[in-house]
Order: sequence, then structure tokens, then C-alpha cells
Amino acid sequence: MASRGPRSKQRRKPAAAATPTSSPPDRRGDSRDIRRWIYGGLDAVFAGGYAIAIWTVIPNRLPSAQLHLWTFPLATLVMAVGTLLGTPRGWRIAVVGGSLVVFSTVLLIVRIVISAAFLAGVYGAFGKAAATFALVMIALVIEVVAILPIVQIKYLLTRAGRRAYGVPVA
Amino acid sequence: MNRPARLRRRTIALICVWTLPSLVFLTTTAIVYSAFRIAPPDRLDAAERAAVMATLRAALVDRPGAPPPAPAVHHPLAGPLIVTLWSGGEARARVDATGADVAAATAAAAGLLREHPGVRAMRPDDRARARLQVDLVAGTGPLGGDSWLFDRLAIPGIGDMLAINPGVDGVGAELDGKPVLVLPHELVGAKLVSAKRPGDALPDLAMGLDLTKLGQKLAARPGLPGTIAPRAMYRFRTDAFVEAPDHAAAPLALYRGLPPAPVLSGAVLRAAALRGGRYLVAHLLPSGRYIYEHDLSTGARTDAARAGSSYSMPRHAGTTYFLAELYRITKEAWLREPIERAFAHLAELLAQGRCEGQLPDGTPFDCVLDRGETVAELGSTALAVVALVEYQRATSDPRYLPLATKLAAWLLYMQRRDGSFRHRYDVKTHTPDDTVELLYYSGEAALALARIHAVTGEPRYAAAAERALDWLVDWYDFFMAGFFYGEEHWTCIAAEAVWPAARRDKYMEFCHGYGGFLRAQQAEVGEYPDEDDYAGAYNLTPFVAPYNTPAGSRTEAMISAYLLGKHHGSPDPRVAGQIRAALQYALGQQIRADSDYNVLGDGDGAMPGSPIDRNIRIDYVQHVCSAMIRASEWIDSDP
Repeated sequence: MASRGPRSKQRRKPAAAATPTSSPPDRRGDSRDIRRWIYGGLDAVFAGGYAIAIWTVIPNRLPSAQLHLWTFPLATLVMAVGTLLGTPRGWRIAVVGGSLVVFSTVLLIVRIVISAAFLAGVYGAFGKAAATFALVMIALVIEVVAILPIVQIKYLLTRAGRRAYGVPVA
Repeated sequence: MNRPARLRRRTIALICVWTLPSLVFLTTTAIVYSAFRIAPPDRLDAAERAAVMATLRAALVDRPGAPPPAPAVHHPLAGPLIVTLWSGGEARARVDATGADVAAATAAAAGLLREHPGVRAMRPDDRARARLQVDLVAGTGPLGGDSWLFDRLAIPGIGDMLAINPGVDGVGAELDGKPVLVLPHELVGAKLVSAKRPGDALPDLAMGLDLTKLGQKLAARPGLPGTIAPRAMYRFRTDAFVEAPDHAAAPLALYRGLPPAPVLSGAVLRAAALRGGRYLVAHLLPSGRYIYEHDLSTGARTDAARAGSSYSMPRHAGTTYFLAELYRITKEAWLREPIERAFAHLAELLAQGRCEGQLPDGTPFDCVLDRGETVAELGSTALAVVALVEYQRATSDPRYLPLATKLAAWLLYMQRRDGSFRHRYDVKTHTPDDTVELLYYSGEAALALARIHAVTGEPRYAAAAERALDWLVDWYDFFMAGFFYGEEHWTCIAAEAVWPAARRDKYMEFCHGYGGFLRAQQAEVGEYPDEDDYAGAYNLTPFVAPYNTPAGSRTEAMISAYLLGKHHGSPDPRVAGQIRAALQYALGQQIRADSDYNVLGDGDGAMPGSPIDRNIRIDYVQHVCSAMIRASEWIDSDP
């Protein structure tokens, strides 16, 4: 049976660098991988979009809610900076930024779940309308906020992503 | 790392990714739900309630000697047993007693009641008439503010706005080692459960517990200065019951302060509608103006004679329309004079001649203006026409037809060529306002034109009503129409009223569609386990108590939708079921002898604003009782 190939497309390396696990890191990264620029650009656009939305569309006067909401544009901006740097340090910054966005999204869902559980406890039911609304909110949050960092972290952790940033492939 | 180890790590990571989030969410849900849940109490049965009440009633009788025997009811309690003595709608005495079980707590409460100065001060016949309410604390739970998980992570505002199930939960605190309790009905009566307004966009929507005032109220009970912090408070639920009005019958189990509703039937609806009519007649002043609002908790009533006091001419006219409709259907003689008195007030306002004039073709017109108003609103005149015509339908007396004709001329003048209406008219400049669009008025005007056609037979009124209805119904010709409706109850009433002069299938389809939209908001029994008392009401969530008026106004519309279906030969049985459910809910909400134990003033027949709003406005009674009397004509015969 043929062995399973890598999940990301690999570029053929020179014979001298044929053993991936032992290859020395290329500090400059693979500048030919345009995904760095696509992800970096998307991150910057999303960070700006989140900031504008929080500033103008969904302002909140409660400090804890403000703090939580602002983690999204800030962490996305961190992800953009790291992604666009293109160095191993940038790779780490991008992974940390993306993980923060994902963590913040999970926290947001936890907050919705806690609030729903409280209401169900006090009122004996959550109701179809409220449940539908909460599910739609969660689906929107995942679609608008979580998909980009999830896909991007997945890319960064692949061999191709590591090589693009000159990070040793384990 | 070798390949099998890598594969194992990868498998574990994949399992974690796909299961851990769900595990976190489920665990969090279980922790928070179980922390805040107070299950509905296991209630005493009828015999046990009667035994408890017999002991307490014996304590009210002025009989020296041994205290009355304790009832043989040995269920454990989760807190005190509280007895409230109601006399004339006022809580004259309250005692809180504790004991090892219900029997011991009841005996202790009976002893306290015998010695209570408020009870001793009452005359024996007042004590005999007074009604006892018992609340057995059956469960407690936190109030928020006492759960780190909830406090730190819940969506801000949820704990403040929706802290308790209003009317079901009470709030207590341990002060100096003793429980101090504010009972569910006390929170409602003190207006502490709907104290916050979540947004300016919905000025009528009030919800949320006023924790500041509640803290002061709790502290004041044992005479402590200052206030109690929310962290020290807890929620509790009670098994509550009250003596029946004649005391001989079994005590009535209460839920959210109300005893079980009468069973729906034509006769019950007719009696309830007449009770509402009596309430309105009792709140009609000699001047012909209604006492606009009445607060059942305080007995406060608005002063209709005072300048600046809130009053609505559309509601004056709408309420008088209901009385005329009630008279048409029941022929109760006591209704006729008050109706004429309310019309006399309208005539008095019209006699001031501030709106009166002539159209370019010489047709005289007039419109309804309240004292001090300079802008006439379409709805006031439209509903005045509906009421005046209804009087003629009821009595065959055409005395008001000339006045109705003048008012209808103004309605026709206010209608645009496309069937829509201008809603305001400046009487000083004789100018209609083409910019303002208000709720209800177009439907009310369509109904007025349909109704005056019914008594005059003049085709121009039917044609104008049809144009108005076409405009109202065709407005919904857009993508996703049928999923969203505004307040279209007058539209459907008018659509039925204009039959058979206008026989458009689209009116029936529109009203059946509107019915489906409303049904989606109507909770069924069992849908919300703690809130079966809301079943039949129109309510989007279990967190906000439903307003009672929509149970009436939307049912009026649904009755018309159902009748329209019958006219077309295809009545919708789902609409009939929707009407029954809403009316069953409304019957439970109406104040009657069973439920008037805590009503101050003449409240029999009243319809409170909501299960947790004890304020009455004339139109609450009008809409609900109009639906009741109209449904009473067919509810027993139709499937």
C-alpha cells in the first residue's frame, strides 16, 4: 500500500535537502508561497472590519463586554502582523494570535451557553425562539470570526506553512 | 518521534478537538442550570389545603381557650409558612411561621395570627369576610451575584434584567439569622419586577428586578437601616393558595397570584364580557369620560377631569364601540344609558366646532378632537364612526347617523387615491399631514368605512374600504412576505366587515397567513414547564410576561379571519383553535370574584396589563371583552 502523502502540496527540494526532519530552518522562509499574503491581507481586512463593527454597530457600555469584543480585532491584527512578517517569529506570532481568536470565540460561546442555562434554570425553559436565536448567533460568530483563524492555523501548522516561514518541520 | 506514536498523538488530538468543546459546553450548562433551577413545588392536595386553611380560619374567630388543632399535614418545608390576611383588597396582616413540617408551621402561624394587632383591630364581620392566603416556601436558589461562573462569564445584563421568574419567584435574605422574605405577589404589587427598560426603541417594554429598591424593602422589614446587597439575597418559590370568596368552598391553588381559570364555553365568555362591560360602566364618569387607568395594587385611578391627565380619544371611541357591540349582542338594558353618555361627551367635543367644515363640493365634515388638541388623528374619528354605527346596528336608532356621515366624509377626504390615508390633520390650517404614518389608523379607517356602508348601503363607502384594504394587504407584496406582519388586527376585522360588498380571496389568504404568523408566537400547554399559565397568550419567549391586550385584539382579528373563512366556505380550524387558546388564557387573567382578593377598588371584570402588571387601561378591557362576546356567539357550535 502506498504510504499516505502529505496533506499540503510539497515543492520538490534539492537532493541535498531531501530529509525533511533534518533540514535546517530557512530563516527567510519560502517567499513563493502566496498564501502568506492572502491570509495576511484577510487578517488585516477582518481586523479592520471587527473594529469598525464594534465601534459603530455594536457598541457596548459594559467594560467586560467591551474588553471581550475588542480581543477579536486585536488578536486578528496580531495574526495579520505575524503572517505578513514571514519569519519564524512571525509564524509564532500568527499562531498565538489565531489561537487567541479561537479561544475568545469559544469563550463567547461559553458565555452564551451560561446565559442560556441560567435562563432555562430560572424560567424552566429556554424556548424555541430563544434557542433558535442563540444557535443563529453562535453560527454567525463561528462563520464571521472563527473560520479564518481555524483555517489559517491549520495552514500554518502544515509542512508547507512551516516551510513558508522557515520553521523546522517536525 | 516514530510514526505509530505520531499517529496516536494525532488521533488523540482529533478526538479532543471534536469532543472537548462540546464537553465544556455541556458541563457548563449542567453546572449553571442545576445551580439556578428551583423545581416547581410539590403542591398540597385539595384536602391538605383545606385542612391548613381550617386551622388558620379558626384562629381568626374570637374564641378564647386552646389554640386550634394543627392540621394532619406532615410534608417538610424548605422555609417559612407565610399567611397573608386580605381585607378589602388590602393586606391587613402577615405572619411568618416556621416548624418541622406543615402541621407545626401552620399551628405556629395560627398562634401568631390570633395575637396579631392588625387582626385584633378588625371587626368580627370584617374578619369573617377577609380571605387568607398561604404561601409555603418549597424551594430556594441563588439570585445571581452568588455564582462566580455566572457572574464572570454570563452575557452582561442577563442577571440584572432576568434575575427572577416574575410572579413565581420571591426574594429573601437571612438577616440576623432569620429569613426575611418578599413574596412573589409583593414584588409584583410594589412594581419591582418590571422596573427597567432595556431600550428606548420599545418604551412600553419594561422588565428586570429593581435590586436597589428590593434591598431597601428587605432591610426595612426587620427595621434595619440602609439596604441589602444582592449577594445576600436568594430566590424562593412557594406553594400558594387562597380562601375561596365564600370560604365554604375549597381553597384555591394560586399560580402567579391567580386561581385556576374558568373552563371556556359560550356562556362563560358571555358572562366574562358582561363583567368587563360592568367594569367600564363603573369607570365612566357622569361627564361621559372614562377613568382611563386603574391600578389594582394601589387603588389609584387617573383623574379624567384633570387637565393634562393622559387620555386617548381613539380609546374612548373604541371602548364605547365595545359597549355598543356588547349591547347589540346581549341587549342588556343597563348598557344603553352609559353608551349614550359616552357619545354625549363626543358630541360635546364636536360641538366646539374646531374641526367642522365643508369640502369643496359642499359636503359637511367633522372630526374628533380632544380638549386642547390642535391636530386631529384619523383613529379618533374612525373609531367614533365605528362606535356610532354599532349603536345603530344595536338599536336600529338612526339618531347618530348624521354625525357619523359627517365624520365619514372627513375620512374619505383623508384617503389618498391609492387607498392609503393621511393620519393627521391640522385643524388650524386645515391641512392633512402627508408625512406621518401611525400604527392602527389605516385599518381603523377601513373598518369605519366598511361599517358605515353596512348601515347606509352607499357604494362609495364600500369602494373606499376596498381601496383601503387593497392598499393594506398589497403592502405585503415583497420577498419574504408572509414571514413578517405588523399589527394588522384592524385590517382583518375590516376585511370581514366589508363582506359581502368586497369578496376578495386575497383578504382571507392574508388573514389566515397573519393567523399562522401569530400562532407561531402562541405557547402551548407544556411548552414552557413553569409557565403553563402563559399558554394561549402571544409571547415570543418565556422570559417576558405576555401583555394581555394582544390576547384580545389579535383574537378579535382571528375571529374575523375565521368568519371570513366561513364566508368563503373554507374556515380554518387552526384559527378556531388559536381563538380558543387565547380566550382560555384571557379568562384566567380577568379579575373575578375568585381572583379579586388583592384588588383595591372596583376591579371586577378588569383585565390587567399582563400577569405581572396590575394596571388596567380601558382598552385592555375593550379588546379582550370584545373578543369574548364575539366568540361567545359560535364557540359552542363550531368544531
